Amino acid sequence: MDEENSRYSNPYLTGVMLGLVLLASFLLLGAGLGASGGLARLAAYIEGLLVPSHTHASEYFGAWGNNPLNYYLVYMLIGIFLGGLFSAVSNKRVSFGLERGKSASIGIRTAFALAGGVLVGFASRLAGGCTSGQALSGGALLLTGSFVFLICIFAGGYAAAFWVGRQWND
Amino acid sequence: MIKTFYGLGVLDSSAACFTAFIIGLFFGLALERAGFGSSKRLAGIFYFNDMAVLKVMFSALLTAMLGLSICISLGWIDLSDQVYLMKTYFGAYIVAGLLFGVGFVMGGWCPGTAAVGMASGKIDAAVFFGGAIAGSILFNELYPIIKPLYTWGESHQNSFGLPGVAFFHTTLGLSKTGFAFLFTAIAVCCFWAVEALEKKYAPASTTDRYLNSPFLKSFSLALIVIAGSLFLLPSQPPAKTARTKPAAASPVSPAPAVSEKILLEHVASAQDHVEPEELADYLMNGIPGILVVDVRPSQEYRQFHIRGALNVQLPDLPVFAEQSESAQKIVLYSNGMTHPAQARDALFRMGYTNVFILTDGLTGFADRCLKPVSLRTEPLPVYSANQINRWRAYFYGRNASREAAAKQTIAYQGTLPSLINTEWLSENLQHRQVKIIDCRDQPEYNRNHIPGAMAVSPENFRGVVEGIPSMLLPATFLAEKLSLMGILSSDIIVLVYGGDRIRDATLIGMVFERLGHQRYGILEGGFDKWISEKRSTNTELRKMAATTYQSASARDPFTLSADEVFSYLQNKSAVILDVRPVDYYTGKKSDEARGGHIPGALNRPFTEDIMKSEAYSALKPVAELEAAYASLLLSKETPVIVHCRTGHQASQTYFVLKHILKYKQVFWYDAGWTEWSTRKELPVTVGTEP
Repeated sequence: MDEENSRYSNPYLTGVMLGLVLLASFLLLGAGLGASGGLARLAAYIEGLLVPSHTHASEYFGAWGNNPLNYYLVYMLIGIFLGGLFSAVSNKRVSFGLERGKSASIGIRTAFALAGGVLVGFASRLAGGCTSGQALSGGALLLTGSFVFLICIFAGGYAAAFWVGRQWND
Repeated sequence: MIKTFYGLGVLDSSAACFTAFIIGLFFGLALERAGFGSSKRLAGIFYFNDMAVLKVMFSALLTAMLGLSICISLGWIDLSDQVYLMKTYFGAYIVAGLLFGVGFVMGGWCPGTAAVGMASGKIDAAVFFGGAIAGSILFNELYPIIKPLYTWGESHQNSFGLPGVAFFHTTLGLSKTGFAFLFTAIAVCCFWAVEALEKKYAPASTTDRYLNSPFLKSFSLALIVIAGSLFLLPSQPPAKTARTKPAAASPVSPAPAVSEKILLEHVASAQDHVEPEELADYLMNGIPGILVVDVRPSQEYRQFHIRGALNVQLPDLPVFAEQSESAQKIVLYSNGMTHPAQARDALFRMGYTNVFILTDGLTGFADRCLKPVSLRTEPLPVYSANQINRWRAYFYGRNASREAAAKQTIAYQGTLPSLINTEWLSENLQHRQVKIIDCRDQPEYNRNHIPGAMAVSPENFRGVVEGIPSMLLPATFLAEKLSLMGILSSDIIVLVYGGDRIRDATLIGMVFERLGHQRYGILEGGFDKWISEKRSTNTELRKMAATTYQSASARDPFTLSADEVFSYLQNKSAVILDVRPVDYYTGKKSDEARGGHIPGALNRPFTEDIMKSEAYSALKPVAELEAAYASLLLSKETPVIVHCRTGHQASQTYFVLKHILKYKQVFWYDAGWTEWSTRKELPVTVGTEP
């Protein structure tokens, strides 16, 4: 594991690369990067499969029409997955398993991951974006809301870190 | 200037989706390379043992921010309409940020990294991703209840006319460049701090060390230098102009934005004001196109208001402005200046650039224009004292009814420009808005003229323009001359010719054509018909006060240059009518460098449109003219260029075609044969053949 970590690229240069991808997104698409937008579309699609009439009648998902997957951020999310897969495979970093501290139980880690997901999914909708779409993209545009969001992410994260740290205990 | 998919409104096209997919590939690649396929590494930032998230995120943010700033400075992209800008909702984002932070540290993932984590085979990433989908559905289900939270605390900032879009540098009261530099400096300091932190707390095996490395030094320096160089670039794109209002603005579509910079420039150069004295003169002289709006409550308005002002409440102003878009100036006033100034700026941002405020409001108007001379402490010159007395008389309503009658706009039955008959003129001779221009020679005018007429030779409006003699002067000069004559753009102008010199009247008509002045006409039969009908004349000079005739600065659309005529000729896309006498057309006679005519031009001497009766000369009956020109021109849409030697005779044919026969596309080659014959490269034909 440690040997693998050392093979990660220089974080600063990787950041520059990410920044250039974001810049390209601004100049070509006219919008920043986004991951939660595609995820929410997927959520709308899934809810639409389960309870179609209810979903289409709902105020938030309903506005996306009968085919919520027909949206550029869905394609971007697919791209993120495939790009990540390509990089992980070519760097031999694919390993199936649940990442957790050695002394943390699978149950705890799974529960935290699930609860964290629910919170993040909800919060992303409330903020109209996640770390990529709101914090990073909006931050690069110097939008006030994005800075407020970013600062509050760190505030919330550091405030909760102590209580959920045991999942990483070795 | 880059047009983005968003700017073009085609973000849902398959091309945009494909582009998004490619961008996503690189995005995922970068995330994975950074090591964000591991939740432990991501969560490390909250336990200070792996700060990669901060390093990557800030490096990315700085790169995109600096890159975008450079693109904007160079004018490559316009942020205001080519990039999607999210609104700021302080309340919603604070709540969302805190929840997100808790979720982030619990799950160890965020949506983008979870996708990469799944690609790396991490089960917890899939669990997180599933949770996030559930969270999104939860949001959808709760949306009806939490809707107020979703838009809680919208920013009051308004950027590029987009309400709620707030920029952080503006929020902090800094310049954009200053903020970018400061932010870069802070981020660089953070990089060094987290490296030091990692060295102290993180096990050496898990992260690479960059503290004091040549890499981190040069990277930091590069960022600072790039951020600093932004100061050298223009902070605004090269030619940023205000967007104009689209013609068919519907109330639902967001009004287009006007750059804040232009707004501020207007405010700085006082172009947003009208001075009280100026307004008083406008109103007293009945200058059209100026609407004065009292924005005070209606009971105050009823007690006293500036004469001629309308009462519109602030919330109704956008609708009023939309309806009054054709007005040259809308002047807002209240008691003081604060409210109208705010309203004016708001309307300006919405694209209504014709809105002004009255300096010092009603209070200032009363003080500066209406305060009796006897109550003033400062000594006044006689001229000013008289002026104040005139204003007082007007605005306090003395002689109100008479002036109101005079102020009324005179109506004309039928469309102008056209021929105006002697009967109409004789009935409306006294109206303030009827201005008669006598085009005959001065001695004839001196002998006797229609009462109130002014003597003006058409030569008054011609001169050497760019080396070509006898050209109609540019619009600004024409407007100056009309101002001195006391003519306003709302007046009805009656042009009076003597003998058969209809062309003198039509040439002055071209002055009004160029200025876009529609309300003019030519007295049918001219002065001779007036006399033959024994209508009144006198020898008096009409006293006129100078006015300010508003001129259009743009080029008129109907005057052509030689090059333009030549290109029509080459494309065979217009009929050229040479209106000179036959002998000049054939080249038998010539007063110029070369004789003959433009190849392909048809000859229709202007004299053929005139008929002589015993008493006077006039244009032939419409039916006769109609038949004559129908044989030369295919349809009313056919583009036709008229010319003669100096543009004088051709002005008559122009008037006949454009205003009597209503041809749609009539052009005037003003410079005419005078210029064409001297330009050796332009072709010339002699003989009777076109």
